[in-house]
Amino acid sequence: MARTHLGHNILDHQLLDKDGRRCGNVDDLAIEDAEVVAIYSGPGYWPQRAGRLGRLAGWIGGSGRVRVPWEEVTKVDSAVHLRRTAPEYGLGKGDDRLRPFVERIPGANR
Amino acid sequence: MNPKLLLNLALGILAAIGGFVDIGDLVFNTAAGATFGYQLMWVIPIGVLGIIVYSEMCGRVAAVSKKAVFDAVRERVGFKAGLGALVASEVVNLMTLAAELGGVAISLQLLSGLPYRVLLVFAIVGLALVLWIVKLEWMERIFGYGGLCMLVFAVAAVKLGPNWAQFGKGLIPHISQNNPWLYLYFAIGLLGAAMTPYEVYFYSSGGVEDRWTPKDLGLNRANAIVGYSLGGLLSLALMIVGAAVFLRHGINPEHLGTIALGAEQPLGKIGLLFAIVGILFAVGGASIDTVFSGAYNLAQFLGWEWGRYRNAAGAPRFFLTWIVLLVCALGIVMTGVDPVMLTEYAVIFSAVALPLTYIPILLVANDRDYMGANTNGPLANTLGMIYLVLIMVIAIAAVPLMIITNVGQN
Repeated sequence: MARTHLGHNILDHQLLDKDGRRCGNVDDLAIEDAEVVAIYSGPGYWPQRAGRLGRLAGWIGGSGRVRVPWEEVTKVDSAVHLRRTAPEYGLGKGDDRLRPFVERIPGANR
Repeated sequence: MNPKLLLNLALGILAAIGGFVDIGDLVFNTAAGATFGYQLMWVIPIGVLGIIVYSEMCGRVAAVSKKAVFDAVRERVGFKAGLGALVASEVVNLMTLAAELGGVAISLQLLSGLPYRVLLVFAIVGLALVLWIVKLEWMERIFGYGGLCMLVFAVAAVKLGPNWAQFGKGLIPHISQNNPWLYLYFAIGLLGAAMTPYEVYFYSSGGVEDRWTPKDLGLNRANAIVGYSLGGLLSLALMIVGAAVFLRHGINPEHLGTIALGAEQPLGKIGLLFAIVGILFAVGGASIDTVFSGAYNLAQFLGWEWGRYRNAAGAPRFFLTWIVLLVCALGIVMTGVDPVMLTEYAVIFSAVALPLTYIPILLVANDRDYMGANTNGPLANTLGMIYLVLIMVIAIAAVPLMIITNVGQN
């Protein structure tokens, strides 16, 4: 999907990687000449979306920022589908960091 | 209809009946009966129809668009308003969870006689183990079927020989001349308890997890209509028991144990036992629904991986969220706050948060891009709009009425 226009509803949609893993939301968009060129995702984009409450939430969330070029989007339906796996973009880091600890609990991989 | 589908349907419906009544319904239905007799009967069918309309809509949205409630909230009202809705719903959810857990400990105390705080810890650890070990499908069934013991209240209601003439009159909407503010407070509490938002969070997320497709829409409709209607009959029974046992003797059922005594009076010890076990499973099941709802909402709003079908290693933040919620709820009830009082606050505040949940659902259910042929029809939209207006009125009136009536104490 090389082109899209602004009317297309993508802001605040779920991001899915190539394995269907949920790896964040579309928190903001990079727009050039009325065309979406990249997706921004991460707590670092919340302050600009929701004022004081957004700043607080972004601070709690760790202020991470990820930019995904629009060329990486393969499909937009009720979610935005990406071409590669989440770690390749730096998405879904929170889950990946916690996994080694959670995995130590017996039965975590059932 | 093939036998397997029929079996699943029956199981789902049974679980819905057992799962409909939680601590909010127990408290408000019995207290309304004990205070106003049969006069508030008419509110129950209105609340039940409301939850049917919106659950069906949520289930349909989940089946067709694969979106659970907080996906829809964020997408439709944006990040800022959505974040507000998220914070409000998480606070209300945590209060409800704490109240349900208090209810679990009280039921266990009635059965065992052990100290309340010890049982609280036992209850939390037990629930965490159940959540960790048991598959959700079985959790729903175990707690749903256990909750069917609550049907003892229906038997008690019939055995008590309700005054059918007054019962009939109570089904016609009217305002009581005697203490109208308290009457309205109870009306809002009954509606809030019947339409508790966590029910739709849990229901819609479950639909997404079970990978419902448009083929499951019949199952969705049947579950919502039959399950909630039969659950509503239990609410009626609780109100009858409240009227016939407590109002007659001038008792205010301020303790969960008192509510169970309502079944003992007509049915003896065996009635009491069924009532306590039924309450235990009902509030235990509701604890699971609320703790998962809290984790679902957060994960959906932030785009995290979620779901109990993903194992804990597959969705670590989701897993950690429900653990943290359980610990926070334990902290709240350990302070010694009365779970019945907490329930009243939780139900009234959830009434305030209702529009934030239901407006986005109505919007998504009307989006033809997602919903295609399964977009809301005229019936769903008419009912949806009527209930939306009702929910707005409730949301505005809830807190003032709580203050005027001193949380139902006058």
